[in-house]
Amino acid sequence: MLIAAAASLLTIGVVAFVVFVRERDLPPPIVPSPFLHLDERKASIYENLRDLQFEYRLGKLSDEDYQHTKIDLQKELAAVLAEVDRVKAEVAPKGTLVSKAPPAKAQAGKKTQGNFSCPHCGAEFAQELKFCGECGKAMRSA
Amino acid sequence: MENIGSLAILLAFCFAVYAIAGSVAGKLKQRPFLVLSAQRSVYVVWFLVTVASGILVYAFVTDDYRFSYVAGHSNRSMPTQYKVSALWGGQEGSLLFWSWLLSCYGMVAVFMNRRRHREFMPYTTAIIMCVQTFFLIFNAFVVSPFKMLAVGNLITAVPDGTGLHPSLQYPAMAIHPPMLYLGFVGFTIPFAFAMGSLITRQPGEAWIATTRRWTIVTWLFQSCGVTLGAAWAYDALGWGGYWAWDPVENASLLPWFSATAFLHSVMMQEKKGMMKVWNMVLIASTFFLCIFGTSLTRTGLVSSVHAFAQSTIGNYFVTFLAIGIAATVYLILDRLPYLKSEAPLESVVSRESSFLFNNLILLASSFAVLWGTLFPIISEAVSGEKISLDASWFNRLMIPIGLFLLFLTGVGPLFAWRRTSVESLRRNFMMPGIASVLLVGALMAAGMRHFYALISFGFCLFVALTILAEFYKGARAISAKNGMGFLAATVELTHRNTRRYGGYLIHMGIVLVFIGCSGAAFNRDITAEVTIGSSISLSPYTLKVADLKEGDNGNYLWHYAEVEVMKDGKQIDTLKPERRFYKANRTPLGQVAIRRRLNHDLYINFAASENQKATIQVYIFPLVNWIWIGVVVLVFGTLVALVPSKVKMQYVQTVVVEIGKKYATVEN
Repeated sequence: MLIAAAASLLTIGVVAFVVFVRERDLPPPIVPSPFLHLDERKASIYENLRDLQFEYRLGKLSDEDYQHTKIDLQKELAAVLAEVDRVKAEVAPKGTLVSKAPPAKAQAGKKTQGNFSCPHCGAEFAQELKFCGECGKAMRSA
Repeated sequence: MENIGSLAILLAFCFAVYAIAGSVAGKLKQRPFLVLSAQRSVYVVWFLVTVASGILVYAFVTDDYRFSYVAGHSNRSMPTQYKVSALWGGQEGSLLFWSWLLSCYGMVAVFMNRRRHREFMPYTTAIIMCVQTFFLIFNAFVVSPFKMLAVGNLITAVPDGTGLHPSLQYPAMAIHPPMLYLGFVGFTIPFAFAMGSLITRQPGEAWIATTRRWTIVTWLFQSCGVTLGAAWAYDALGWGGYWAWDPVENASLLPWFSATAFLHSVMMQEKKGMMKVWNMVLIASTFFLCIFGTSLTRTGLVSSVHAFAQSTIGNYFVTFLAIGIAATVYLILDRLPYLKSEAPLESVVSRESSFLFNNLILLASSFAVLWGTLFPIISEAVSGEKISLDASWFNRLMIPIGLFLLFLTGVGPLFAWRRTSVESLRRNFMMPGIASVLLVGALMAAGMRHFYALISFGFCLFVALTILAEFYKGARAISAKNGMGFLAATVELTHRNTRRYGGYLIHMGIVLVFIGCSGAAFNRDITAEVTIGSSISLSPYTLKVADLKEGDNGNYLWHYAEVEVMKDGKQIDTLKPERRFYKANRTPLGQVAIRRRLNHDLYINFAASENQKATIQVYIFPLVNWIWIGVVVLVFGTLVALVPSKVKMQYVQTVVVEIGKKYATVEN
């Protein structure tokens, strides 16, 4: 008898948990972004540039290798930024674009030390950076 | 109790099937209610399989010998920890344990991503649940652990069980199967994410970023599982080795090779958007090799020292593998345009090509071991004669492959990404190269003539120096810039890029493992029949048998020899090799005595005894402990790689904040 009661309770409990989904349990809808992949590429190129710079500082790379690879990476970055602009123009023609330059997501929750803006493109950052996270140009002399 | 267990498994099966249907239908019909309901089914499956597993463990601990599985794998005199580990000691229990681990992994993966990757998560959930359903079919309908012993229609209990196989009553063996299973089962998750991403034609690398930690953790479990198996073979089997290329050992190594290849090649995709097809193939191969490994272990397809019984479940595995592989191949071929490489290979002398070589060699290793493992079946199908390949065949093939891999481990970090000029090569190769040649020369001058050992020691030094140079140069640069002490700078360096420097530590662990394995070239042994008072000599030791004793502790009968270890005429230790005879399942088992030192192990096996005479085998195993030390370093390196890096790149992201009727609003 006890076993039958436990079995019924178990069955009813799990079925109810699965079947009764309330409206408020649903996650809020999200806007799909066509920029996600491009942002990933951009981040990966910045990281490659940082690694290149570091390996050059350690003396692992010859000047020739460093210069070649750096130019290649900058070209790739330019291509990705151009692609971002193209997609932007496609999904949001002029006039609907809101430019706010918020701090990057990766830094959310970190202590802000002040605003640093790029002398070339004007993008703002919470931390002082060697290279601009938007246009890739040097923000200060190394 | 048994009814609740059976009901829980049956319900889990139903909910797993519902989760598959609900996820796919919810996604295709755009019904978020259905998708969420399917997600909840995944949690329910975990709950139900946990209830069923808990009931079985409870039956073991309370010696409930009405359960056929408990009676066959436990007995009253067994210590409690082995009663718990008996859960995975046999066919039915281990398949239930597989299901439980998968349900845990599935529940965590679905819960952590319940609000992310909306595009492909329903398919990922469906694939995880497909695998879950496959194992629940075993648990519910084929090899149920809840079968009861009965006389006529009356459930009955036997007074005592036959006990767990003695070789499994050993600490390393109690945790070796769960570790391996955690590794085997875990690869279901990255595989499911990869397939979900492929089905929905995702353009980016989201599945890789999400499953990065899963893959590393799973690989860590697999590495620990393989090593614990080797440690158990060394400590418990008494034949004096740690690896015999037994089919079941090989089964654990196969997915480890492909997973290691995947961990490396995935970096190429993240860094340069290359090798996308290759990564899909590797993660799928790893997953299917895990399933294949499980089937090899559980079905007795190839005869093994692990001596699992022949069973009929092999057909289920073959069907699952055939359907799964066919579906994966179709998906990859169908989605080839979405897996196009974003960059070409620019130079053969580059880090990319070293990664490519490393991948090819690892895959070749996997194929060679697979071929050797399945050779008895292949030869039987072709010539009608079952031919097994012995350890020497594997060693002939795998030692050169392993050494080449070791060499690539050292060379990889010395090459630059994209291209490496002669000048860069000269800078990086000169010092470690000269040091290695000098070491090989010195070893030859000292009389060492073993070809592979010389090559191995040379490569080990080469790789170790390249790794140390990476740490030294990096820490020196940070120390010079920030004024930190060298040690603090090394920690700072590692913390800035934990994945890279954790990876280097793993490579260092591999170097130590190779040093340990190379010691096997110089193993020595002697076997002698001894009585009380007799002596055996194996340089630099003289061993004197001080006593031979025997007794009974209920679970087993034991005989042991008390051996005094003498060196240079002085007694330095006393060792007690033992031989046990487990009464419940009438099986003998040795308990070797080992004197562990960094330069070598003195290893004594009590092989047999009769009428106050004992047969003793004595071995000297040079450098063997470096294998275990290497694995500890590997584990430490993997844990370091799991710590989030301190320095994160900061960049502006572009997000769509709103979609109007005609245009979207975009923020920079």
